[in-house]
Amino acid sequence: MSEHQTVGELLALAAAGVLTAGEQRRVEDHARACEACARQLEAWRALSGELRRLPTPAAPAELVARTRARVFEELAAAAERRWDDAVLVFLSLFAWTVGVAVWAIVRLVNNGLLALLDARFTEPVIWLTASSVLAWLTAGVVAVLVGHRRRMTWRNL
Amino acid sequence: MAEEDSLVTLVTRYQHRLYRYLLRLVRDPATAEDLFQQTWLRVVQNIRRYDALRSFEAWLFSVAHNLAIDHLRRQRLESLDEPPAEPAASDPDALERCLASERAGLVAASMSELPALYREVLTLRFEEELKLEEIAEVVHAPLSTVKSRLRRALESLRSKLETRV
Repeated sequence: MSEHQTVGELLALAAAGVLTAGEQRRVEDHARACEACARQLEAWRALSGELRRLPTPAAPAELVARTRARVFEELAAAAERRWDDAVLVFLSLFAWTVGVAVWAIVRLVNNGLLALLDARFTEPVIWLTASSVLAWLTAGVVAVLVGHRRRMTWRNL
Repeated sequence: MAEEDSLVTLVTRYQHRLYRYLLRLVRDPATAEDLFQQTWLRVVQNIRRYDALRSFEAWLFSVAHNLAIDHLRRQRLESLDEPPAEPAASDPDALERCLASERAGLVAASMSELPALYREVLTLRFEEELKLEEIAEVVHAPLSTVKSRLRRALESLRSKLETRV
């Protein structure tokens, strides 16, 4: 391929300003010596200028206002979701902590306060099971409530 | 509160550019408005994933690009394939005659007849003034592909303009 042909393929991109410095120099050097390419380059530059000056369609003001309102709603919903997540994490940790801690506490007071109750709860295994079930039940109910609220939020978006 | 203010500032700053980009790509004002809203909601949902070291413009247009391309694929009204190269204009004088006349409307009309991928690369380069690397990021294509797509888009536009004169 001759230099003329090679440069000819670069003219449009030269006018678009996307060539490397080396390619741009090559095109301009050739155009200085070749009248046909110089005219073509000028024509491509004119077309590029036309494209840059095309009238900009303005976004309707009502669309922008509506979008801003939706952005606020979405930000509020996102903040609520983050809060729900934090509550869920806290409750899960709480359930685990209760489950583990109760065992140690029962062991500590087994021969003291609980002995006075004279109930089957003095059995550590029963006490541990009951408290764990209670803790997990609480966490489960809260998880369902949080999930329900989240579904409602998404439906309203 | 600061997050809300920043996002509202961004919506205001990019309102016309984003709308213009979407309108050039989908051509239908109602669809462009719908995608405009969807783009900002997507931005809000994913703002924590945005890498501040990258260009926000490129990221914003990339989000809009994904939504618009999904829409065009669903519509199937026009091909998203790269069209074959058209022969270069044979009569340079015809182009010069074109350029000498008042024809912003003519250029816009000719541009709207181009395939979606060509319209997109032209608006990103000449109207949004994105660099080649940023365009590649927006359209998720290699630099060489964007370069050749831009050249073909310009040649196609030139051909269309010449047939109109």
